[in-house]
Amino acid sequence: MITDAYGSTIQSFRVRVLRQDCPGASPYWQSFDVEYESDMNVISVLQRIAAKPRTRDGRETTPIAWDCGCLEEVCGACTMVINGRVRQSCSALVDKLLAEHPQEIVLEPMSKFPVVRDLMVDRGRVFRALQKVKAWVPVDGYFDLGPGPRQSRAQQEVAYPLSECMSCGCCLEACPQYTKVEVPRATNETDESYQQRLHGTYDQSFIGAHAISQAMLFNAHPVGRWNAGERLEALTAPGGVQVCGNAQNCVAVCPKNIPLTTSIAQAGRAVTLHKLRQLFGW
Amino acid sequence: MSESFFVKHDFLLRRLHSLSGLVPVGAYMVVHLLANASILNGVDAFQNVVYVIHSLGNALWIVEWVFIFIPILFHAALGFVFMFQARHNTQRYPYVSNFRYRLQRITGMIAFVFILWHVLHLNGLIHAEWFRATIADGLGIAQFRPYNAASTAAEALQSPWVVGLYALGLLACVYHFANGLWTMGITWGVWITPRAQAWASRVCMGLGGLVAAIGLCALIGFWRVDIERARERELEMYRQRVADGSILENPHKLSRPVEAGEPRSH
Amino acid sequence: MSKQRVVVVGGGLAGLACTMKLCELGIPVDLISLVPVKRSHSVCAQGGINSCNDLTRQAGDSEWKHFDDTVYGGDFLQHQPPVKEMCFWAPRVIDLMDRLGVTFNRTLEGNIDRRRFGGTLYKRTAFAGATTGQQLLYALDEQVRRWESDGRVAKYEYWDFLGPVVDEGGVCRGAVAQNLASMEIRAFPADAVVIASGGPGLIFGRSTMSMMCNGSAASRCYQAGASYGNAEFIQVHPTAIPGADKLRLMSESARGEGGRVWVPRTPQDPRAPRQIPEAERYYFLEARYPKYGNLVPRDIATREIFDICVNEGLSVEADRLCVYLDLTHIPKTELDRKLGGILDIYRKFQGVEPSEVPMKIFPAVHYSMGGLWAAYDRSADGGLIPGSPLNHQTSIPNLYAIGECDYHYHGANRLGANSLLSCIFSGLFVAPGIHSRLGSLSGGTASDQNQSLYAAAVQYHREQHSALLQRPANGDNPYQIHRELGDVMTKAATVVRRNDQLATAYEQVCSLRVRAQQCGLSDSGNWTNQNVVFTKALLDMFPLAQAIVRGALQRDECRGAHFKPDFSFPGIAASEPMERRREAEAWCDRFEANNARWLKSTIATYGGEHPRLSYEDVDTSLIPPRPRLYGLVGAEIIEQVWNERQQLGGRERKMAQPAAVTS
Repeated sequence: MITDAYGSTIQSFRVRVLRQDCPGASPYWQSFDVEYESDMNVISVLQRIAAKPRTRDGRETTPIAWDCGCLEEVCGACTMVINGRVRQSCSALVDKLLAEHPQEIVLEPMSKFPVVRDLMVDRGRVFRALQKVKAWVPVDGYFDLGPGPRQSRAQQEVAYPLSECMSCGCCLEACPQYTKVEVPRATNETDESYQQRLHGTYDQSFIGAHAISQAMLFNAHPVGRWNAGERLEALTAPGGVQVCGNAQNCVAVCPKNIPLTTSIAQAGRAVTLHKLRQLFGW
Repeated sequence: MSESFFVKHDFLLRRLHSLSGLVPVGAYMVVHLLANASILNGVDAFQNVVYVIHSLGNALWIVEWVFIFIPILFHAALGFVFMFQARHNTQRYPYVSNFRYRLQRITGMIAFVFILWHVLHLNGLIHAEWFRATIADGLGIAQFRPYNAASTAAEALQSPWVVGLYALGLLACVYHFANGLWTMGITWGVWITPRAQAWASRVCMGLGGLVAAIGLCALIGFWRVDIERARERELEMYRQRVADGSILENPHKLSRPVEAGEPRSH
Repeated sequence: MSKQRVVVVGGGLAGLACTMKLCELGIPVDLISLVPVKRSHSVCAQGGINSCNDLTRQAGDSEWKHFDDTVYGGDFLQHQPPVKEMCFWAPRVIDLMDRLGVTFNRTLEGNIDRRRFGGTLYKRTAFAGATTGQQLLYALDEQVRRWESDGRVAKYEYWDFLGPVVDEGGVCRGAVAQNLASMEIRAFPADAVVIASGGPGLIFGRSTMSMMCNGSAASRCYQAGASYGNAEFIQVHPTAIPGADKLRLMSESARGEGGRVWVPRTPQDPRAPRQIPEAERYYFLEARYPKYGNLVPRDIATREIFDICVNEGLSVEADRLCVYLDLTHIPKTELDRKLGGILDIYRKFQGVEPSEVPMKIFPAVHYSMGGLWAAYDRSADGGLIPGSPLNHQTSIPNLYAIGECDYHYHGANRLGANSLLSCIFSGLFVAPGIHSRLGSLSGGTASDQNQSLYAAAVQYHREQHSALLQRPANGDNPYQIHRELGDVMTKAATVVRRNDQLATAYEQVCSLRVRAQQCGLSDSGNWTNQNVVFTKALLDMFPLAQAIVRGALQRDECRGAHFKPDFSFPGIAASEPMERRREAEAWCDRFEANNARWLKSTIATYGGEHPRLSYEDVDTSLIPPRPRLYGLVGAEIIEQVWNERQQLGGRERKMAQPAAVTS
């Protein structure tokens, strides 16, 4: 139960949302009053608003667009900026938010990705980065070829936390080196040529902590390490690990507590040795 | 340099930037501050260090540019390019490392301005006599005279404003150096685990504290120099060295009153 | 061949496994998903994935025993050949996932570690921490991304599958889908369409399922003519954390480690739980099942918790049903060591420390055993014929269903850690069949079809879409109707089912459907209009909801997850041996008669306003049905009588002993 400054139970609370109708439109704020219920999270707040989309000043409006999936903090879909901090909205509990900031709950879309609408953003760049660093084990195929390589417990215990990354983008939103890349679509542009242009632009921009960490995950895999060189080339290409400025916000905001800065330092060592080997032909 | 040049050589440029911060720029700074600190052992000690440096003769000019000025300009120029790519967010994410990241960029700027001023203020950059006569003296820059090392340095560092700005600039440089050393260790993959990074951070900050202390002590040392007596002693040393042939006569490296007022002795 | 394409709808374990296998076979794939495939609901699976393995084999396990456990756990309602094939493939599925880099927990020697799961005596379950589903999904996602880099897969993420394109001959020729951002509707001509869209949890309002598990893709195929099997078989998990938005799973290991379930004897006692003295607490599971206590099997725990809240009115809270799951008597250090991961979920989402305050839990809809009817091609040895184009084909030719949204494998009740297996297996296994179908298409390939077929399909969906947008805004709110639907379904069609309630519920669902058809949209825009997308999904929930309720209403028996107390078999009451024997004989007679009547799959076909139900015989040719006796009073004598009958009948039976279902 949440009480107001005078100790009485609150009936409702204010939610302020930064909205945007479509890409390129200017964003605007809208405030809503939401009736208080116990055990609410930001998802249920948005559900209540969707069921009765009326602003504080009584104006009818459209439901807020937002993204969500598992609501258990394992899918990464519902990431947004809540009271100024990036996190998953499913695990953002209203009681806690109001305890920290009694006046209102402020919701904004992630600022490092192009807004699709309201709180929905296009995180295609996150997945493109995974392609760039070849984050997979290059197996021969999917026929039965017996078991995989044996791995020690220690190896598993290092790999498991890295493989929990759900590509939510928190590390990127909080990273001062990761900047927004928005490629507006030209008129009369085909899907293919737009996609090509978009990927070309993404590939020149910083890949981000998550992709560096995934590259390290697969470089440590007993089979994945055989094409480690290709991943290190990707990590030293434009927008690679060198862009990291060591602000280390990534590791602080990661909802899965992935040791991202450890991965970054490992990547740093790996590319240093890789480049020296290339230079001196070791 | 077009943008595509930066994009194409992003990795190399950033690694060179990182490296140049330690070698030669950072390393030079430490040597420079250690040399300055010799003032704590007296005017003679400091003057002797300067004599050693200036024993390079005309090569000194090359050394200054190749190992000091150009690397600093390179480091600073790239630093400015990279700095403007950052989107600071310490208000939203008030973590220690985020403040350090921001401070690294702020101190970098302060350091650059300070070094520029410091070099003009004491060194003057251009050592030609005409420059000194026509421009430098008028502007009050290029005040340092190698063969009157302590006295001219002390004279330049008498105003509390100047000392204050030097202290600020010095601390900015040292922070930038120490924190940069720590992040460099991450960038190049020297310290990897959070534990190792925490230890490295303590060591780097400790080193920074030590270098800052040395620098500040030197500043105090210069401030406390008895300028008149120092000048006499420096002149004495100059004459002695010229007499025993260990240096050539070079009034350009002496402070002006000496040139004007004192008779030259051989 | 190179021009032929396949559309896969859904990017969970089944859809991704199928996609990567098709790519390997050289077939380009258009992968349509409501969400980025890496965010599919498969990530929520925690426990693990089953297979017979070297270790269990030496303890007497075999693929056949895995098969038997699955069939017995499912109360014999599944066709046995697909289950047999799956269980015999299981070790190879695990090997493959291991090669793909899944971070399975390891033994000291570097082998895959295993744990024991419900419904078996063997340690068959491979696991990766508490996020096995996530780890498996990511490995498949990575492989599909690899094919995407090669241009073999085109992903259409944030696209809503609107329906199959079916030609005049009733053959599937592609799909129509809508972009959720631009609202563009377009056709995807294809020579086969694979539906891998998961379960329909949203029909029940709140469940343990993700927000995209609305069943719309399966429903749209059903409405296009595909049959739907065993709709009424919905698994309800006993312990979930009630939330305003979702019911989150609380693993049964909490009870395994000593957690006690109780309610205050005073209804809605206002005191804090730890202030309530022992004497005033009702440990109902321990009281009612002294032998098994809190570790009664899943379905029994579910029913008892439901009963104590609904029928006895002893719910902890007045406006929300829940009971206490108490761990506060266990030292915190021990809890953190053994249950750290799952207790974190409670802490994170409830903001309460479970080692200090008892958790509040309630059963929640968890999994749909039923789904789109799918064919299979039985081999001589009782498995499936690999590469047969019939395997997993729905009643619409060239339209396939795999994963949770088909009705195979789990019968009336799913065993823990079998769903991940069935999803990956069906995805991998269907691909060679599709490959052979593509080589032997009747009526030409998709590119040979008259383009007007696709134009007409797109036109139809565009009109539907604009009609929705032009609805007057003052109608019922679709979110409100959804809430009501969820309440009706949860109340009548989950744990305990009564015919009167089901009949009422069916009427309510029908009238809600009429209201939904007239609901109003608060957003009539044509950019990322989630309002209209949700309304479409809502409209498509009703045909499935009707099939679920009608199927449950008509099925007058108890089988697996479908529990009707009016038709349950009481245990043996007598104590006198002759009388006990007589009762057991009668029990077995009744059991046999019931099987003759009800050991059949419910097959629903879309009939517009109401579903048409028919019943299909189940292939039980490999393992004859036998009673599930776990927890029943007099189980020993029934078992004895049953075994004697089987021996007298001289039937060939591979598995003589009814294995105990442990959880």
